[in-house]
Amino acid sequence: MGIKMKLPEIRYNFKLSANLALITGLTMGVLAAVAQGYFEVQPPVGLGVCAITHPSNLVNWVANNVFGTEFTIHGIFVAVPVLTPIGWIIGSFVAALKNKEFKFRRGPVRENLLAVIFGFLIVNLALLWGSCPIRTAVLASYGWIFAMIILATIVIGVIVSCEYIKWKVRRM
Amino acid sequence: MIGIVTLVIGLILGYMGQRSRFCTISGIRDLYLVRDTYRFKGLVGIIIGAVLGFSIFRLIGGDFPGFPLLSEGINVEPPLLIPIMIFGAFGMAFFSTMAEGCPFRQHIMFGEGRLSGMLYIGGLVLGVIFFDIVIVPYLQLLTIAG
Repeated sequence: MGIKMKLPEIRYNFKLSANLALITGLTMGVLAAVAQGYFEVQPPVGLGVCAITHPSNLVNWVANNVFGTEFTIHGIFVAVPVLTPIGWIIGSFVAALKNKEFKFRRGPVRENLLAVIFGFLIVNLALLWGSCPIRTAVLASYGWIFAMIILATIVIGVIVSCEYIKWKVRRM
Repeated sequence: MIGIVTLVIGLILGYMGQRSRFCTISGIRDLYLVRDTYRFKGLVGIIIGAVLGFSIFRLIGGDFPGFPLLSEGINVEPPLLIPIMIFGAFGMAFFSTMAEGCPFRQHIMFGEGRLSGMLYIGGLVLGVIFFDIVIVPYLQLLTIAG
């Protein structure tokens, strides 16, 4: 005589699609640590992933090697260029192509000149601090108190910008 | 080696960034304006991933000098640069919100075929050269004065 047992039903509330950004963030943090700890992408610390210093190092490397300029480059990227920005663009291109999302289109910034100005302005402001928001979060995780202050400043900057946009829309 | 490592990291994050629509600036914006936490969780993810990564890999032989830096305080030399750095970070966040994406997201939009992403990166390249030629000498003077 067989005894039938009903196993308790386990439900997972974690939905992958709803947490892709979280998983990407976690991967970024871990890869930043791996790059620094095992592949010597340092000094300075926390340089594994950065969307400001990496592109600027790459631009400076190309300028120095092609035009003979002497622009500043982080010591570790002098001999070999940092290729993270190229990887981001190719990785995104492959993902978009594979999922049939690649399409030449305008936007999100509607005016072409404004998009150029934003790129120009933002990199200059970001280089005054020396990092993008991703590396700021990595540096805050490294325990640097000033990076924590900067992270709070970034949050304030976004909120002030949102309020400015809301105010501008109300006036129209 | 560093070239290959950074390229591989870039490819992985580029692919994931496109699929997830990850953006640090939009994450804060969405949370503030519409209480949407999807992208904000990405920023939280970086902090959790990096803290875990630094802590665990340090235990198994990773090279993380001075980690955690908490005991060193603010540690910015010269202190004269502190207001400039805060101004820079504030401005970056302010204008990135208007540009509808952090610098990382702009690279991803470039790969997706978005014209404004491509033009943004073009502006970024010009901006880096401008910074090297015009701003760096002033910063060096400030550093010496400080």
